[in-house]
Amino acid sequence: MRNIYFVIIALFILIYIVMEVRKKRFSIKESFWWVISSIIMLILAIFPYSIDKIAKLLNISYPPSLLFVLCILFLLFINFRNSKKIAEQQEKIIELAQNVAILKNEKK
Amino acid sequence: MKVLFVIPAYNEEENIGKVLDELRKDASFADILVIDDCSKDRTKEIVEKKKVPCITNIFNMRYAMAIQTGIKYAYENGYDYVIQFDADGQHIAKEAIKLLDEIKKGKADIVIGSRYLVDTGYPCPFFRRIGTKIFSLLIKLFCHKTIADPLSGFQCLNARVIEYYSKMGNYPEYPDANLVIEMLKKGYNIVEIPTKMRLREAGVSMHGGIIKPIKYMIEMFYSIFFILISTPRQKKVDNK
Repeated sequence: MRNIYFVIIALFILIYIVMEVRKKRFSIKESFWWVISSIIMLILAIFPYSIDKIAKLLNISYPPSLLFVLCILFLLFINFRNSKKIAEQQEKIIELAQNVAILKNEKK
Repeated sequence: MKVLFVIPAYNEEENIGKVLDELRKDASFADILVIDDCSKDRTKEIVEKKKVPCITNIFNMRYAMAIQTGIKYAYENGYDYVIQFDADGQHIAKEAIKLLDEIKKGKADIVIGSRYLVDTGYPCPFFRRIGTKIFSLLIKLFCHKTIADPLSGFQCLNARVIEYYSKMGNYPEYPDANLVIEMLKKGYNIVEIPTKMRLREAGVSMHGGIIKPIKYMIEMFYSIFFILISTPRQKKVDNK
């Protein structure tokens, strides 16, 4: 059972995310993809040979590269999502700040 | 006793005029507040022409956050009851009086106007009916209470609920079955009464397409799961 360490790490990540949401320090909506990814991590830790089988199905000769590709794709996805959110929020903050400024001037 | 109709509206120029006229006629005892969620059409113009108070959100915040804006307004102005009313003409003003009568009895914190409780002749899309059944079953399973129409937006809230909803983070983006479960778990009492409803007359509904409902269902189950593991069961709080 060499993979027990990985199972523990994956479980730790999953429990940590769930606890953060429970304590309302992380929103339910934003946690969704993190929980999904940590569950996948847990599955891969319990069945490490599943990645070999999937690689065989996809005709990939070096299975770990599949793992890396999937990881990079997931990180890219999360990163793009965050970028999008930041851009959206920036626009909203500017809009809000301008409105507050106008309201403040009206009061004088 | 102060009652406020909160009407969130997004691109409802075809319906909002009629809705406001009906409310003025059939429910003249209450104040009306329209939350214009940054509509791109003439919604705001029409509301202002009817001389109804209108709050315009600075940017589009979607249905739930628009309602929360209205609830915050109600809390700050000391309203006793809030009735959530749709701008698309589905809800009938006369039926709102029934909701109000029920909540005035003091047994319920939230009264939901349901279209399924008895056969009110409401023809319902197939997917919506299945979704409603599933959520209804979940509520029965976890809260031991029958709520036939947890997706109904026709609700009446008392001052305690208004105060709770008006706080930051207490009103979710999709305020449907998950909110019903959360409120029941927190010890608020929810009562459902049958009401008539109309079919949508014009404009576009917010629950359309194929991917959106699936995404909605997944998000719903996910948030119900978190509510179940994070809300400790509380004893029912007695009403005054």
